[in-house]
Amino acid sequence: MPKIIIDGQEIECRPGIPVLQAALEAGMDIPHYCYHPGLKIVASCRLCLMEMKMPHPKTKEMAWAPKLFPSCQTPAKDGMEVRFDSDAVRANVRHVMEYYLLNHPLDCPVCDKAGECYLQDYTEDHGSAASRMVDEKQKNPKKDIGPQTLLYSDRCVLCSRCVRFCDEISGTSELRVINRGSRGEIDVFPGRPLDNALQGNVVELCPVGALLDKEFLFRQRVWTLKTTKSISPVDSRGQSIYIDYNEEGIHRIRPRFNEKVNEWWISDEARFGWKHVHRDDRLNQPRVRGSDGLVPQRWEELPEFLRKRLADAAKQVSDSVAVVLSPMMSCEEAWLLAKAVRDVAPQAVLFHGFVPVVGEDRTFPKGFVVKAEKCPNRRGIETICEHLGGNTANWGDFLGMASSGKIKAAYVVGGYPNEWLTSEAVAAIGQVEFLVVQDLFPTALTEHAAVEIPSVSWTEREGMFMNCDGLLQEFERALNPLEGTKADGQFFFELAGNVGLFRAKKVREEMAAALPVFADVFIPQELPEHAH
Amino acid sequence: MAFERILMKHVDVPNSTSLSVYKSDGGYEGAAKALQMKAEQVVELVKEANVRGRGGAGFPAGLKWSFLPAERDVTYLCVNADESEPPTFCNRVLMETDPHMLLEGILIAGYATRTTVAYIYMRGEFIEQFHIMQKAIDEAYEAGYLGKNILGSGYDLDCYIHRGAGAYICGEETGLIESLEGKRGWPRIKPPFPAVEGAFRKPTVVNNVETLACLPHIITRGVEWWQSLGPEGSFGPKMYCVSGPVNKPGCYEGPMGISVRDLIYADEFGGGMRDGKKVKAVLPGGFSMGVLRGDLFPKAPDGTVDPAQDYDELDARLDFDDVRRYGLLGLGTAAAVVVAEDTDIRDVLANVARFFAMESCGQCTQCREGSSWMYKMAQRIRGGAGRIADLDVLVEVTQNMGMMPGESICGLSDGAAWPIRTIVQKFRKEFEQHISAQAPDAAAEWIRRVNPAAYGLPIAQGRAEVMPGGTFYRPDSEPDTVEA
Amino acid sequence: MAWRTIDRTKVSPEEMGPGLSAAVREKIQAFFPRYPTKQAALIPALHIIQDALGYISLQAMEDVAELLELHPSQVMDVVSFYSMFWTHPRGKKTIMLCRSLSCELMGGKNVRDALVEKLGIKEHETTDDGEWSFMTEECLAACEHAPCMLINEKLHKCVRVEDLNRILSDPDNDKLEMPRSDLFDAPRTAQT
Repeated sequence: MPKIIIDGQEIECRPGIPVLQAALEAGMDIPHYCYHPGLKIVASCRLCLMEMKMPHPKTKEMAWAPKLFPSCQTPAKDGMEVRFDSDAVRANVRHVMEYYLLNHPLDCPVCDKAGECYLQDYTEDHGSAASRMVDEKQKNPKKDIGPQTLLYSDRCVLCSRCVRFCDEISGTSELRVINRGSRGEIDVFPGRPLDNALQGNVVELCPVGALLDKEFLFRQRVWTLKTTKSISPVDSRGQSIYIDYNEEGIHRIRPRFNEKVNEWWISDEARFGWKHVHRDDRLNQPRVRGSDGLVPQRWEELPEFLRKRLADAAKQVSDSVAVVLSPMMSCEEAWLLAKAVRDVAPQAVLFHGFVPVVGEDRTFPKGFVVKAEKCPNRRGIETICEHLGGNTANWGDFLGMASSGKIKAAYVVGGYPNEWLTSEAVAAIGQVEFLVVQDLFPTALTEHAAVEIPSVSWTEREGMFMNCDGLLQEFERALNPLEGTKADGQFFFELAGNVGLFRAKKVREEMAAALPVFADVFIPQELPEHAH
Repeated sequence: MAFERILMKHVDVPNSTSLSVYKSDGGYEGAAKALQMKAEQVVELVKEANVRGRGGAGFPAGLKWSFLPAERDVTYLCVNADESEPPTFCNRVLMETDPHMLLEGILIAGYATRTTVAYIYMRGEFIEQFHIMQKAIDEAYEAGYLGKNILGSGYDLDCYIHRGAGAYICGEETGLIESLEGKRGWPRIKPPFPAVEGAFRKPTVVNNVETLACLPHIITRGVEWWQSLGPEGSFGPKMYCVSGPVNKPGCYEGPMGISVRDLIYADEFGGGMRDGKKVKAVLPGGFSMGVLRGDLFPKAPDGTVDPAQDYDELDARLDFDDVRRYGLLGLGTAAAVVVAEDTDIRDVLANVARFFAMESCGQCTQCREGSSWMYKMAQRIRGGAGRIADLDVLVEVTQNMGMMPGESICGLSDGAAWPIRTIVQKFRKEFEQHISAQAPDAAAEWIRRVNPAAYGLPIAQGRAEVMPGGTFYRPDSEPDTVEA
Repeated sequence: MAWRTIDRTKVSPEEMGPGLSAAVREKIQAFFPRYPTKQAALIPALHIIQDALGYISLQAMEDVAELLELHPSQVMDVVSFYSMFWTHPRGKKTIMLCRSLSCELMGGKNVRDALVEKLGIKEHETTDDGEWSFMTEECLAACEHAPCMLINEKLHKCVRVEDLNRILSDPDNDKLEMPRSDLFDAPRTAQT
């Protein structure tokens, strides 16, 4: 590992990285705009310039070179000595910050980026309160550049990150710099909008408020938002995300760095895959079929009721009880539910739930993949079923057995964001005598259900998903469960006969003891505090 | 003794662009001789002669060639004919009078560097010159000086003209390469240098037209002859341009190191000022190198050189080193534009500032924003609404833009900063006179009109402070050599 | 929305303008063997298009992008970078006047003012009769002939205000007086 000296402090860094990256990883706050570790280096913002010791051309003695060097473009080499803490570097940063504000509008009060804007931050730290520019300001236009994105080019600092993203990561090249010099702007070709499966990333990539998400536009000031680390359930790779929310609900989803899965990016599917959480028709109370159809039932009475009914069914024919474990469930939830049902019906058959697949896997130029499999935990469910053993089978088998009347009682979990049942599936499942359905929304199964239990979205739960490559990742709860509902895990915990609060971590310990693979939860690296 | 014209020997010869005229005078003999030698020998010869690039930075051509990796399959030669540095036109003169001299130089350089394809990157505004050069290329192909197995040596070379389309920055070697590849002419970050990874990601040599035109003569006449011309370190003949209100504006050839005074006044060069006016200022190396004071100012006692004093600086000698003593960035293109005593220095400042504001490529922040800010200030000063504070801010901006060559991706930032700093510093008294002659509220009124938000601030009243610690300039440090 | 936003997501067929003819495509393709990439033929291609259409229309950008296997935005990027390319129609003859220092010192400003007055147009505009367009350029590298200007392909040297009438009325004021290479055609206006 190379050792370099930054501001007199010896730092060990990963080989081959630029000095800027090494400094950021050492926790230093080095201003930068154009540099992003996931994109090509262009060294154009000139904010991260540093002083470097070089051999003097004549005496060959190591001395501070008279010029400044871009730290983003200079690879860290063992033994090199650089400094940011010098008059020359500070003067440069101060000047460059002044340049950025020459034409920048003072519209922070109406700018969505305010509060997480690196123009604000760096100006606060390094800039000057008043501009010395008294001449006419250049006012670049605001442009609608795509179905999801706006470009306020008057706020742009021309770091070209968005352009490079579209060139290198999405490979679609919609965004370009047009014009020359200070007339430069970002633009799309007229009629060829920014419209690709990864386009939303340009909004976070933008260090200022130039690229804006239409969904989030004027919605919230960012300092009112709370943030939770989560995993996106939209596809089987399990992209790491941040959920930004407050008491009003979710406002946006942002990418969270994950070196093994999504790196710095997420797909638009993941970014906008939270709308169903706030749908009006969410199920919000458990109901049990009486003589007048489904009637509301108190949560407290459900576990006992279900245990009894399932046990009764198991007494008729030992393997006539089925549990359908949805790949939308977390590992802990699936574990608890399977154990709970097997507790009263030991021969119960564990079925893998329906796996939604849309289209084919799409691989982008630098390896970002959008999976066709649109659920987060198929591997987790399969692993659990395999471990628990006994009778297990897949979704197709379940439908076959149900339609032939072999299944007397079934506990079917859904939880999909979209309509997921075909009419054939509904007809087959309708044959089950005692049908428990747990889902987010009313479905065609409602009319066949003996018991209907509301499920909650992943943002209201905690747990872990195992992605399509077998990587186990945890997600945290953002929102409280919708009023009238109960987190799935909590309910299964009670169904399994426990008293008290469900804690995913506790269940995980129990699972890990039984099956070591569950001890191995992957936690992605935290990005350095001052990296962006 | 009259100087023997080498590069411009055919300027007055009728039909000089034709192959027959060129050949009648020893044309392509240098190439024939070079092709008998080993490629490495040619490189060594050029290195030994110490041919410094004529494009502006003065980087030794042979050394540049020797940076090419030994193992390479394809090599490109880019001929920099994007002559956009005002007021430079010697490459144009060379190409329109003696296109075959350039082609012969290309052939020699191409052979020495094992080039397979040579691209002449010619600025788009050169239209006549394009047709002249293209005709010469066609002739050369036909006569076997280009194409396959040139002169039976087994060496193949193709040569194409690539027309630019109006962008100063494409004269920067990596900007040129980007433009050649069909992109915007944004200079690349270095390393890798073009010699390692240039056009189409292959090893590439970029040489200026005049540099290449020198090669045939070095081959035929030898290193000794070459080094007999000009002072130590600045050998060879040089094409000088002089324009502005002189009696004979034009392109002239002389040895390296003639004085600016000679370039303006000598009969064989500019022939003196029109109407006997005095020289207020000269930009002697193209815009980017900075300004010298003219003979409107008194002569310095006993030849002292001090750019901080208001002395006549026309004795600066035009070679790679002497001009630096006068606060200039370097020799540049040795193209002088002369400003007469009756020209308002504010017009000069505004014109120069506009050039760089328009031509900055917009990649690096300092250059993009600084150049346009300086132009806005210069415009206001010219419009009679300047403030003393503007002069300080201008100097400070230039000090940040061009603290040291090499701090931005290319040299344009320094090139923009240098003339503006030297104009403001060397002619500060005149600026101050103009400003004090303005109506007292002229600046405030202007500011109120164009930027009402700034009007209320103290700065609008002319009380701008130079940022504390804001200037960083070490006059004692030596600027590095920049490749351009 | 609180303020006006330009919609870049849609474009009308009129805004797209004329596309590339087969002849123009062929001329562009003739440049392919010169370069190892197709993209490198972009700037020559844009010259050819501008010679044929008078300017570079959006449709032409799309067409040339397809021909060179680029995204149209990459073509727009290049077109907008270089000052010689026009993105709106030009007159039959375009005056490109040098405004750099040598020309300014030698009276270029007066020539500019006289031209603007005579033609009644500002920079980057075209006269109503479609005859003249006007632009200035930073330096034409003909400083010894200051002030100078190009009319299409022909360089006019040492232009004085009093010469303007003669120059503008000369029917051959835009013609090259030399054998020309057939790689690039003489400019003509767009066939409508």
